[in-house]
Amino acid sequence: MESKYAGYMGKVMLVDLTAETATEYPWNDEQRELYLGGKIMAARILCDHLTGKETAFSEENWMVISTGPLTGTGAPSSARFNISALSPQTGILASSNCGGSFGFHLKKAGYDALILKGKCNGRKWLEIHDDAFIFHDAGDLWGTKVGQCQEMLIRLIGKKKFGKLCIGPAGENLVKYAGIISDERAAGRTGLGAVLGWKGLKAITVSGSKTVPIYDKEKTTAWCKKWFAYLQSHPLTGKQLPRVGTAGLVSSMQMHGLLSTKNYSAGQYEDFEKVSGETLAEEYNIRNSGCLTCPIRCARTVSVKGQEVKGPELETLGLLGGNICNNDLQKILDWNYELDELGMDTISTANTIAWAMEANEKGLWDNGLEFGKTDNLSQVFEDIAHRRGIGDELAEGSKRLSQKYGGKEFAMHAKGLELAAYEPRRAVGQGLGYAVSNRGGCHLNGGYLVIMEGLGLNADSQTPKAKADLTMLFQDLMETISASGQCLFTSYAFFPGFLLTKPNGIITKTVNAAVPHVGWAVRFINKCPRVAALHLPVFHHTKMIRLATGMYMDFGKYISIGERGYTMERYINCKFGVSAANDKLPKRLTDVPQDPNNPKTKIPLETMKKTYYAARGWDQNGIPTEKTLRRLKIK
Amino acid sequence: MITVKLYGLLRLDSGIKERRLEAAAMKDVIQDLTAQGISPKDINGCVILVNGKPANKRSKLQDGDVVQLLSPVAGG
Repeated sequence: MESKYAGYMGKVMLVDLTAETATEYPWNDEQRELYLGGKIMAARILCDHLTGKETAFSEENWMVISTGPLTGTGAPSSARFNISALSPQTGILASSNCGGSFGFHLKKAGYDALILKGKCNGRKWLEIHDDAFIFHDAGDLWGTKVGQCQEMLIRLIGKKKFGKLCIGPAGENLVKYAGIISDERAAGRTGLGAVLGWKGLKAITVSGSKTVPIYDKEKTTAWCKKWFAYLQSHPLTGKQLPRVGTAGLVSSMQMHGLLSTKNYSAGQYEDFEKVSGETLAEEYNIRNSGCLTCPIRCARTVSVKGQEVKGPELETLGLLGGNICNNDLQKILDWNYELDELGMDTISTANTIAWAMEANEKGLWDNGLEFGKTDNLSQVFEDIAHRRGIGDELAEGSKRLSQKYGGKEFAMHAKGLELAAYEPRRAVGQGLGYAVSNRGGCHLNGGYLVIMEGLGLNADSQTPKAKADLTMLFQDLMETISASGQCLFTSYAFFPGFLLTKPNGIITKTVNAAVPHVGWAVRFINKCPRVAALHLPVFHHTKMIRLATGMYMDFGKYISIGERGYTMERYINCKFGVSAANDKLPKRLTDVPQDPNNPKTKIPLETMKKTYYAARGWDQNGIPTEKTLRRLKIK
Repeated sequence: MITVKLYGLLRLDSGIKERRLEAAAMKDVIQDLTAQGISPKDINGCVILVNGKPANKRSKLQDGDVVQLLSPVAGG
């Protein structure tokens, strides 16, 4: 339905893969105001559709590919799009965000979102051009790796500038942690590639001739210019991320005991310098690059076998470095490329391998994998993607493997999704985030509190005080940033530069000391967001939405939308049986101190969970109350 | 002898990974790095660790100490 708001194209399409038809799905302005777009819009659509009986590999598992109102407006870092469905990895709601150009081109074709229902008759790829939805037999595309697949799509479409996404062999063979790739960027997490593979859809291309409407073009352009300048002057988004990328975190995580090492049995890796962001920058990086309209440009370009390809992010460096006791950086570059080509999540792959190495070491499963032994891993990755030999078992992920062989206490996942590279016993708020995150063990969906617990700021990393309330605030903020179509990295500029560039200054020290005592104030804002009916000078997002779309927006409304989205996702998960019992972490993190001489270096999860549920208006079993669901207009 | 290790932008901008020097306090380290062309402002913008423990620019040092200087980072 057409929208009175700019920024939107006004059409959501329901694509029936079985019948090979596309019809408009009703979506109105009231819903746009409540759910904005992206992952929250997807959650609303899936909340209305799912009953709690569906499985990931079933025709009733709809996949929603959605953009935000800022996608394609020229706002900083706004090329993002979201993919949501039930996850084969976790059995609950999956969402994965991607910086490829698909979202931008989807809007140029005239659509805010696609909903994929049913299953293809045979193996297909879908071509969208403006109003035309054309299904093609996948033919030779099926079986290709993502690089070759995308090259073939360029030849088939006959031009270079169009949006594309595809799966690799891992998705085709239903690897539980297969991702979806668009250009060089991945919607890597939660196994959505396997859902597309099960549906028999190898790829989607999209192109169109429309332009994204902007409410106040002149003021939007001026605000974008100001925001670009702010991001480029900020120590994180203007200096660290462009220069070292996310890889720059390796050294800092090492210093703070946060670098996952030997399957999270430790937080420091003795050879970290060999696989650090500095070493990557000095010896391997060719140049930095980035997504459309992004001034941050955090991506690395490196050389693999003489070819220029995307370099690894921090997660991949940590998890294919110290976490499997590998100090060979070139191998990580090679594997990162190989895993992208196979269309497989590097985080879950690396974590599953680390679990298998420890299981082998402990005599639980004789699989030939050993910490520090890396010569066979390229072959193992291929075997996982094609489900050959032990690869067929590894393709199931660490949760299912530990159920079969034992070793649950060191299967490093939450709700079935393997954890990111942050070892959370030295950042207990991050630990809470992993446990309660709607999509499972994700650092970002968990609230990324580690940014205040050693990285960026340096507040008390072991206290549970204020962590639950701050986790809720950060989760809600990032939920809305994502729903608007922007990159979460724009949120780092939320922290004024002087707090970061003067870590030893009196103001920064005061802020660090104050953090554990601000829980009540954060709780107040979380409970009464209307008091924050303003634009924060360090948070440009709210004014951007107002100028680009014409929709009223202030900071309070912004976090209210995030809260609605987060609780709605929880509500969906509850339909599938999720409760407080599922918000848990491996015993290694909750029962075993990282430092044997410091009992505080483990995660006081249950204490923080109680506060967190109360802050969110969920009952003590972690279920959103009727009152909360009605207050947030979810029911 | 003190070992000084640089990380993050401090290292990339200066091209210095490591210094070994005689120093009795952090102020001697800062003096040495300044002499290498690193601005005091950039040094002040770093987290300082001595033997892995938080320290500051007034900290005393002992023979064999390892000083680590790290510029702020975030973003995963």
